[in-house]
Amino acid sequence: MILQLAWRNIWRNPVRSLVIIISVAAGLFAALAVLALYDGMMISRLRTVIDTETGHLQVHDPGFKDDMEPRYVIKNQARWAILLDKDPAIKCWSSRVVSSGMLATPSGSAGVQVNGINSGKEMPVSGIYGKLLRGLGNSSEQVAVSSKQSRSVDTGLGLTDGRSILIGRKLATKLKLSLGNKVVLTMTDKDANMVSSAMRIRGIYESANTPLDELNVYVSEKELAETLGVPGSIHELAIILKSDDSVSAVQHRYSSLFPGDRVESWKELSPETNLMIDTVDLYSYIIVIIILIALSFGIVNTMLMSVLERRKEIGMMAALGIGKKRLLLMVLTETIFLSLVGVPIALGIGWLAVSYYHKNGLDLSGMGEELMKSFGYESLIYPTYPSDKIPAIILLVLISAILASIFPSLKSVNIKPAEALQK
Amino acid sequence: MWLIKLAWKNLWRNRSRTYITTSAVAFATVVSILAKSLQEGIFDNLVNNIVSSYTGHIQVHLKGYNDEQVLDNSMKRSDFLEQKFSTIPGVVAVTARLEAFSLVSSGEKTKGCMVIGIVPEKERAITLFDQKIETGKYLGNGSNEVLVGKELSERMASGVADTVILIGQGYHGSTAAGKYRVSGIMKLGSPQLNSRLLVMTLPRSQELFGADSMITSYIISLKEGRDLNETASEIHHLAGAAYEVLTWEEIMPEIKQHIESDSRNMNVIQWILYILVSFGIFSTLLIMMVERRFESGMLVAIGMSKPRLQLLVLLESMITVMMGSLAGMMISIPVVAYLSRHPIRLTGESAEAYQRFGFEPIFPTSTDPRIFLVQGSIVFIIGIVLSLYPVYVVAKLNPVNAMKK
Amino acid sequence: MKTAFFILVLMVSKLGSSQTAREVMVKMDEKMRGNTSEATILIRTVRPSWNREMRVKTWAKGLDYSMIYVASPQKDKGIVYLKRKNEVWNWMPSIEKIIKLPPSMMSQSWMGTDFSNDDLVKESSIVNDYTHVFSGDTVIDNRKCWLINLTPKPEAAVVWGKLVVAVDKTDFVELHVRFYDEDGELVSTMNGYDVKMMDGRIIPTKFYMVPADKKNQRTEMIYEKITFNKPIADGFFTTEQMKSVN
Repeated sequence: MILQLAWRNIWRNPVRSLVIIISVAAGLFAALAVLALYDGMMISRLRTVIDTETGHLQVHDPGFKDDMEPRYVIKNQARWAILLDKDPAIKCWSSRVVSSGMLATPSGSAGVQVNGINSGKEMPVSGIYGKLLRGLGNSSEQVAVSSKQSRSVDTGLGLTDGRSILIGRKLATKLKLSLGNKVVLTMTDKDANMVSSAMRIRGIYESANTPLDELNVYVSEKELAETLGVPGSIHELAIILKSDDSVSAVQHRYSSLFPGDRVESWKELSPETNLMIDTVDLYSYIIVIIILIALSFGIVNTMLMSVLERRKEIGMMAALGIGKKRLLLMVLTETIFLSLVGVPIALGIGWLAVSYYHKNGLDLSGMGEELMKSFGYESLIYPTYPSDKIPAIILLVLISAILASIFPSLKSVNIKPAEALQK
Repeated sequence: MWLIKLAWKNLWRNRSRTYITTSAVAFATVVSILAKSLQEGIFDNLVNNIVSSYTGHIQVHLKGYNDEQVLDNSMKRSDFLEQKFSTIPGVVAVTARLEAFSLVSSGEKTKGCMVIGIVPEKERAITLFDQKIETGKYLGNGSNEVLVGKELSERMASGVADTVILIGQGYHGSTAAGKYRVSGIMKLGSPQLNSRLLVMTLPRSQELFGADSMITSYIISLKEGRDLNETASEIHHLAGAAYEVLTWEEIMPEIKQHIESDSRNMNVIQWILYILVSFGIFSTLLIMMVERRFESGMLVAIGMSKPRLQLLVLLESMITVMMGSLAGMMISIPVVAYLSRHPIRLTGESAEAYQRFGFEPIFPTSTDPRIFLVQGSIVFIIGIVLSLYPVYVVAKLNPVNAMKK
Repeated sequence: MKTAFFILVLMVSKLGSSQTAREVMVKMDEKMRGNTSEATILIRTVRPSWNREMRVKTWAKGLDYSMIYVASPQKDKGIVYLKRKNEVWNWMPSIEKIIKLPPSMMSQSWMGTDFSNDDLVKESSIVNDYTHVFSGDTVIDNRKCWLINLTPKPEAAVVWGKLVVAVDKTDFVELHVRFYDEDGELVSTMNGYDVKMMDGRIIPTKFYMVPADKKNQRTEMIYEKITFNKPIADGFFTTEQMKSVN
């Protein structure tokens, strides 16, 4: 009976009902939009850091990080390779030889981190070749490159031999270097002897993180290991997992498998990124709560209006002997019906909007003051439909709606039939 | 005039309705202000934390120092300038530093490090090095002691009370060499500082580098980061063309870039919020007009001209919206003030992320009065735009149909 | 500083005139290196706003070993630099400490001059690391000179793109060197002056090192005394010796 009454009430005044349906839908949509935008942002930030800088995990000898002394190579290198290759949680990995060194040119010099990389294995891990302003000339190494984080401008050659080096654009600008120029790289080898070699710049890359561009140079893994007096050894393993969520589990597993090595996650390797992500993460949850409060308030207001408008009618019902409990239930049921209609609408629209922007990117560069310039990279964000959070959000919206309807329902109960009918 | 009176009376005639609409607007205002002030507060807090870990808000160098950071580009310390900088409104602290690269050696180990000479008691107001001391104690004024970043001390394997030797290049080609006692180990948030920084008093560093009364930079800390560029240009004006003035945004462009792109994305969220509150306000107006159909029809039927009626409903809405946004601004003041004094505290993993950098894990609100005014006005404008809806309803009103029940 | 040795190396005795550019260099190099050299040099650093003078004593043996003792100014007196192969050690008497310069220090200027620490260790040999071609004749201070172009071999750890050296045709002394980068841009210039007899050899006794892109800036080296081929034992170039040399 109540159900029927509530259902009919809804259709008796379609404008009012529509307003509530739209409010609920808008509230849910807003919450979805915020989460989708946030997820998109976080994922793009995470991707930049994981896919181009740190990887999910890195492995070093515990002594290596202090001074990058070449003698601190990864022991059990072969066992690592075997385990990593057959681990289903791991998407790809690469080994590196790393050293600190000094890069000298006729007009100046700079301290750099020299990364010896294995051309074939490195690409899927750090996408370094994808960041080259000049693509690889060597056809066997020509790889299709996603250009989300990079801009392709011109072309050059890969690390074809022990005399090739890739440097960052920032460093190139600072030392006035261009493609094909010669630099002299000085490092200390395993026995603390200084070793120098002349290198040709075979590529200039640019990533989203300019300070790193100034620091990191890339050379061939094999030759660097020989120069440093540790042929065949490696200093660093960079690992990309299939899923961002399994980082701590995998980290833990390998830490206990190889207690002699240090396994670190991107959070430890790039604490700044972690800090920014956590800040934005929490802030968006606070915003979702504010949105839910705003939504509840909208519902309270609309339902109050509708109860007030129906004073006469409710007074009449009360006069006819419909109990207070039933009246209350009726208004509650109405609200829930209306909310339930709003939910799928919001989900549908939300899904459409998010998938559109997910594909095409949401260009925020037009939004407001000083924003347009200087952001080659992140002015497009790609919202992601927060599927895993949807049940929770729906639940929260419904709870807000029900809580919000209690006040107007009480109000309706308190309508005195005599006064209400007087008019 | 009588229309305004009539509008006013109308509002009071149906108080419940007026309350509801007003509160919808007020609430929208509170929500917008709260969201914005949280957003600004969080990022201001982050910026303050970052600049107070080393750079300060603004630095003054001899022109050319930033491009070539060597001792030969240092300048004479001037009490006069320091005094002048500190009288600029918004400036809370000014100090001087001498920065130089040096080798630090202890036992068999030799590492590169960044030596900074500081004025210990003035530095307290800016970088909180004194609060970052993990073991040992802060610098006294004339002591032959140094503070060392934690990671650097671990690499050097030197603890409190150990002796370290500094060797480097001094001012104008002189040679710098000296022995110092480690007075304290600092745990600094930034990994770069933690593994490179060595701090001593300014006079000691001037002695070490043979740079008598020279400094490389003035560090200036502001109360609030808002008028950064204005203050910087004022400082430049005071200092003169022989100096360069850099803001933290110029010193750390990548952090500025991060924060800017994040807060820009947050602005999108603010827009979503506006859409939502617009719906809230609009729905009350919509229902109000449904309710007032009969009444409006009647008024037109008894000869009130439509434009006049439109003006009447517009006036009513405007008064409501204005009251609402004013009330919202009023209500939000204590709320924001409370959250600024008792900020939201982070817990768990995010708190750790903050603490790793030595930052307090809080989300304070910003109490910038501009937020209240701007957000209040935005909601007010939204309200006024939405008030055009009743005007539109009246325009389309057919008195006969409206009165038919 | 290495460049100083480098210049010394370029000095050569009289030779027949029908020889290749490489032969000129080889003979200069062999003659100059002889066995050893020992010298007192006044080094003056000239900057737009300040000047600085120091007097050093140097000992060198081949390309691998050299030692520099700072005799003045008083504040720096007793500081010793030792080069052994590609390592540089530094003795600081004020703190009684020897340290080995790490690679990060190599790019720093050597005692405020226009030479870097790296110049001290660079192992480049003007004979073996370059190919040599005569490129013309010139006259410097009324002396007839060959111009010789030096191009680094591809595998040589040399930053320069090209060197142009002017060698006196009669006394085989080097009066002028221009250092170019790979784009053909002049990076710095070295000039030799005051050619006179010292320890039985005719050599320039004053060198100016002038960076191309910095105004009013140069480093002057004035040889006050030089002795060639006085035997020095390998044991002299050790860290223990640094503390007692003077």
